[in-house]
Amino acid sequence: MKAKSAPEKIGHFRREVLITGFGGQGIVLAGNILGRAASLGDHRESTLTQSYGPEARGGACSAQVIISDATIHYPYVRNPDIVVCMSQGGFDKFAPLLRQGGTLIIDQDLVQPGKIGSDQVFSVPATRFAEEMGRKMMANIVMLGFLTAVTESVTVQAALRTVEASVPKGTEQMNIKAFNKGYDFGLATLKGRRKKAAGVKGVK
Amino acid sequence: MSDLKIVLFMCNWNPHAAFQTLQDDCADLPPQVRMVRIPCTGRISKSLLLRAFEMGADGVALVGCEAGSCRYGSGTAVAERNVEDTRGILDLLGLGKQRLQWATFLPEQAEDLLNFLKNFYAEILTIGQSPVLPTSHRGSAAMTREAAMRLMTSHDVFACQDCGKCSSACPLSLAGKPFSPRAMANTIAGGDLESLSMHEDIWSCLTCGICYDRCPSAVDFPEFIRDLRKVQRAGGKTGREAHGGFFQSLMRTMTSPDLRIEHWKWLPKDIQTDSHSKVLFFGGCAPYFDTYFRHHLGIKTRDVLVDALRLLNFFDIFPALLQEERCCGHDLLWTGDEENFLKLAKLNVAAIQDLGIEEVVTACPECYRTLSKDYAELGLRFDFRVTHLFDLAEQEIDKGAIGFAPLHRNITFQDPCRLARLNCASPVDASLPRKLIQRLQPQAFVEMQDRGISSLCCGNCAWTGCDAYTKALQVKRLRQARETGSDLLVTACPKCQIHLKCAMEDLFLGSDLKMEMQDLTTILAQNIRWE
Ligand code: SF4
Ligand code: SF4
Ligand code: SF4
Repeated sequence: MKAKSAPEKIGHFRREVLITGFGGQGIVLAGNILGRAASLGDHRESTLTQSYGPEARGGACSAQVIISDATIHYPYVRNPDIVVCMSQGGFDKFAPLLRQGGTLIIDQDLVQPGKIGSDQVFSVPATRFAEEMGRKMMANIVMLGFLTAVTESVTVQAALRTVEASVPKGTEQMNIKAFNKGYDFGLATLKGRRKKAAGVKGVK
Repeated sequence: MSDLKIVLFMCNWNPHAAFQTLQDDCADLPPQVRMVRIPCTGRISKSLLLRAFEMGADGVALVGCEAGSCRYGSGTAVAERNVEDTRGILDLLGLGKQRLQWATFLPEQAEDLLNFLKNFYAEILTIGQSPVLPTSHRGSAAMTREAAMRLMTSHDVFACQDCGKCSSACPLSLAGKPFSPRAMANTIAGGDLESLSMHEDIWSCLTCGICYDRCPSAVDFPEFIRDLRKVQRAGGKTGREAHGGFFQSLMRTMTSPDLRIEHWKWLPKDIQTDSHSKVLFFGGCAPYFDTYFRHHLGIKTRDVLVDALRLLNFFDIFPALLQEERCCGHDLLWTGDEENFLKLAKLNVAAIQDLGIEEVVTACPECYRTLSKDYAELGLRFDFRVTHLFDLAEQEIDKGAIGFAPLHRNITFQDPCRLARLNCASPVDASLPRKLIQRLQPQAFVEMQDRGISSLCCGNCAWTGCDAYTKALQVKRLRQARETGSDLLVTACPKCQIHLKCAMEDLFLGSDLKMEMQDLTTILAQNIRWE
């Protein structure tokens, strides 16, 4: 079944997403959910590669996802369209790879983006939200919700269904809440940008 | 001959002499005009003017003496103000302000008076009969012992352990009034229902609910009092209604189904609404309050409705409005008039249902409590849910990307009893406005000594029982507010503003009590920003 709101441009769609952070943040799981949502939910091609090694013990680690309407011949991300940074180390190492005009997403409490200033930088307090909801571990799911809202990588229906199927039994509702928190925050951020671009600030 | 009913309140002095000339001359006075001779037009209060309409008058003329010739000095000026304000009310009610006229005549102006009356009659004939149906006046069944005992049982007042926690917290007892909920329960249990002091007590309670919060046996006094009042009213007894019962009269007038109320015609043009929306904004009676108190307190509670709508628009919510919105009935319910309360409730529910509304949003604590709780508990059936504006705003702001311009004020907060105590269903409780206040990041937020669930009443509920003791209570409250060192008293109920403003008008204490007040809705609307 094809999700109704999948982006239409068949044959043109391609996104390279690089998600980075430190070990234990669930970076690979986030990449995994993203890729499976795209393939099983939105019926696109997708690949996932991940970096193992010392990173997995707490250094900068990354998950690389490619989503496309066409067959993917080479699964490694070279010029990511989207870079998600959940640690400063990850940011320092991977943010420079972002392609011109790409979208950078950071956890605002964990990453200092320094001088990188672009309309396409989005920040979200994903870890703080997860903490407020009682489980810091869900920061990756909050981030996934946010990414779903601000980029058109996967449909929200596919993402939600995959989250539900991927998290440990008994934690589905909490994780869906976490996803929605990030998703709502993403929509609100886009709306805020639209309003400001239209010159709207306060009530009048 | 038409069966119009036109009441002519006529001052004893100048114009009555002219009227007598007409009678002596057997002038052809319209027979529909019934003259009531009064000592001075200044004594015909707004409540008396409105009461005539409540009882079915098609037109009312107040006829007095020209300014300067009033025998008592200020009568004319007072009458002019009363007429102007009441005409404003008639306008909102959709009755048409032309139905109430004011004129002055000298003794020798008999001819002019006759012309005035003929023209007035002709004008009323063109407008036609008033759509107001007089409400019934109940019989005089005394409260029976059985009825009282039934209430004692159904409210479980017999569970009282005589611990006195209620009386030691009751703001009226603490203001020095010889009044105690515990003693009242004992007295009724002892069979005294009819004494003067019992009657006084039943109608004095502020229904503020502190006692209920403190009671270890969970005796719900406010609800018990409400039912006692109902029984008393059925027996023809009422309390001392504030402002001559103007507001009760207003609400009963609104029970007429054929009124073409114009609740929103004053609304600023920049507010965006959508008649097809599934969300309805229910405003409440603020436009009536402002009209009534225009010359007295100069309050502007109507602006809170505008700010609430601006906030909704900010969130991209363009709600429907009910042009024929009626009072939710809160004050009738709490003064024992369940019969007319239900009429209002049914008319409101039917009108809202007709629009296919799924969610009703309101910024008024009393409307919120009444619509979300009492309507259903008293048997009304409907499909919409009721949301307080603060709850909606908190949810929208919590989504993110919204912030507030810095608020350079030192503030304190007056909890409305209907939000802090009488709903007590999270998320709408005392913590909700505080969450929003924290978001505003004021320069300072200092709580009063009595706050949140223990907060002190603003001094009146349902326009009944305003007296020297409730005034003392208000003075205490305002002193608490001043002691916080704040320069802005934040409120969340139009009536808190009205009653507290009234107390600030005290000639002797005025400067000790005065404090700027603003509704939290207004502060939110003024400072909210996209980030
Ligand atoms: S409701 Fe308030 S005023 Fe009435 S008895 Fe209880 S504490 Fe006193
Ligand atoms: S607090 Fe409750 S139990 Fe105690 S005296 Fe009052 S009504 Fe009775
Ligand atoms: S305190 Fe309230 S009820 Fe009493 S006179 Fe003032 S405005 Fe009226």
